[in-house]
Amino acid sequence: MSITQVSPELEHDIQKVFESDSAALKEFRGNAQQRYQELPEPHFDRSSLENRIYSFIPIEANEPTDWQKAVESLVDLNGEHPLLVFVDDRLVHLGGLENLPNGVTVKTLREAAQEANVVALLGSVVPVNENKWIALQSAFWQNGVYIHAPKNAVMPGVIQVVHLTTQKGRGTFPRNLIVADANSQLSVLDLYVASDEVEEELHIGITEVIAAEGSQVSYGVITNFPKQTTSYWVRRAKAARDSRVDFTVGELGEGYTIGEFGSLLEGEGSSSNGHAVALGTGRAHMDLTAKMVHVAKFSQSDTSARGVMQGRADGVYRGVTHIQKGASGAVGEQSERLLMLSPKSRADAIPMLLIDENDVKCGHAASVGQISEEQLFYLMSRGISEAEAKRMVVWGFLDPVLAALPVDRVRQAVVQILERKMN
Amino acid sequence: MANIPELAIHGLQASVEGKEILRGVNLTVRGGEVHAIMGPNGTGKSTLASSLMGHPKYQVTAGSAMLDGEDLLAMKVDERARKGLFLAMQYPSEVTGVSNANFLRIALNSRRGEGNEVPVLKFHKELQSKMKMLSMDPSFAERYLNEGFSGGEKKRNEILQMAVLQPRIAILDEIDSGLDIDALKIVAQGVNELRGPELGVLIITHYQRILDYVKPDYVHVMMQGRIVRSGGQELAEELEARGYDWIKEELGIVDETVSAGV
Repeated sequence: MSITQVSPELEHDIQKVFESDSAALKEFRGNAQQRYQELPEPHFDRSSLENRIYSFIPIEANEPTDWQKAVESLVDLNGEHPLLVFVDDRLVHLGGLENLPNGVTVKTLREAAQEANVVALLGSVVPVNENKWIALQSAFWQNGVYIHAPKNAVMPGVIQVVHLTTQKGRGTFPRNLIVADANSQLSVLDLYVASDEVEEELHIGITEVIAAEGSQVSYGVITNFPKQTTSYWVRRAKAARDSRVDFTVGELGEGYTIGEFGSLLEGEGSSSNGHAVALGTGRAHMDLTAKMVHVAKFSQSDTSARGVMQGRADGVYRGVTHIQKGASGAVGEQSERLLMLSPKSRADAIPMLLIDENDVKCGHAASVGQISEEQLFYLMSRGISEAEAKRMVVWGFLDPVLAALPVDRVRQAVVQILERKMN
Repeated sequence: MANIPELAIHGLQASVEGKEILRGVNLTVRGGEVHAIMGPNGTGKSTLASSLMGHPKYQVTAGSAMLDGEDLLAMKVDERARKGLFLAMQYPSEVTGVSNANFLRIALNSRRGEGNEVPVLKFHKELQSKMKMLSMDPSFAERYLNEGFSGGEKKRNEILQMAVLQPRIAILDEIDSGLDIDALKIVAQGVNELRGPELGVLIITHYQRILDYVKPDYVHVMMQGRIVRSGGQELAEELEARGYDWIKEELGIVDETVSAGV
């Protein structure tokens, strides 16, 4: 990976992009850029980036055109739920904010980061020096959403955010910060898509969720990038005492993807669930990790994933449940099931239970397989065609996770994309 | 389609993974008839059932099987079913995420053909009444297909499918295995309800027990991959009383299984 060699004019453009930032944010960026230069290339044991072609120039994108159609296929532009649309990191739509409960803030992170106390939260869940790419993203992120719910605020609807990439070569680095104060409740649906012609594009996305005591956050994230894109994302929450953070994750892209989601369960009695669906088509590479770190006593986590690999797709799904010393009474469950639909597809499920405490409960279930001949024979013996029988088995396989998606709109969007991709 | 269903099997030979199991089976089952094929383990009874339905593991190497005058063996599995062949399986598969009712509706509509789909409400009403006949809890309709069903529940579900799909020829492969006497009576009653000139039944079983409740018109004994003796209900009773050894003696068979090379 490299920042494309830049001329002095381009250097000037890059400086200009970040000119209006607050002093605190400029300092944050400068520090991150320093880390980026110092840190080695990150190593992922199942993903090799040597043959990926990508470069980026962190300048402002051209004024986007004709983005409405792509966005409307995912969400209702004039619906009742709050909606923010970013196209190539520019905010192009902000609506449905009229009925926000008292004190709830929904704005761009760039705007929010004019305040030093917001900047102080950046990197508090996903540390800048965690790896080179995170440092890079921290240095050059251009936009994203900032959501803040004050104490006891209950947000009834779902805050929807769409990030659409239409221009290649810049590098898309969206960044979100979600802060739920004590006993507040929030639901966010975050969608990442790109036009089909976008290629050799680098995308690094970070979402940090800070869930204070007794708060509840539901965060849904769907990613669907075309082939020849390289995507690295981290969606992570820090959960305080008795808070609850639920993830629903849909990874449907056809490019090269490395992604991680999960919670740091730092408060006693905090909990986090995750449901993930992955569909690999074409030559997609997916290296996904659900990671739950139990720091506090009586913390609970439960993650389940279902993945389907077709074509020449290659999927690795890691479930990491890490129970640290001192987290007695913790309960961690995970399951991952992967299905390979074609002879050239590959799938690996890697359950990892790292347990440093005695008095805990942990369980895991993992399986990788193909559609069973017996199941097909059974369905066909009732008069159902082979194609329909396969469809039934695959949808049936995904159903337990789809049914558990807590936001209807997420489910509909995922089902639509799945239906299109599985023809 | 002929008015009276007919499955005609001639000289059927079949193998599994290159090993010959069926060595020339001749049998004709017509509408209104109930045939029972009996025999010890490993004599090819279930292979006959699976070969007729078209299980990919079984290769038919010679002979013919005609359903209502059409070549069954030339058809794909689903086509055989749509033509009216039904196999109640010894080990029904479980399918996660597919509800029993949804599965049955799709199967029934496949059998009825495009443009002739059953109205949804009518389907559910009939499904519930058929489930009641088999003493199945209404909640079974919405449960995932066979998932977490007990052995007896699975067998009842097979008969339910037969009742819904109304096949012309039904093969029941060890429908009695693993059933206690109450469950056996329910399953048998379900089969009896469906008996009639529009349905021919082939019951495959180890034991004479089910034949006390579903009276067969014809009884066949299978050994070494062939039907070695045929008779009426009295043959089943004789087998129950005397076992299989006397037949082996009469025919000079030492090992009745197909693994005993011929």
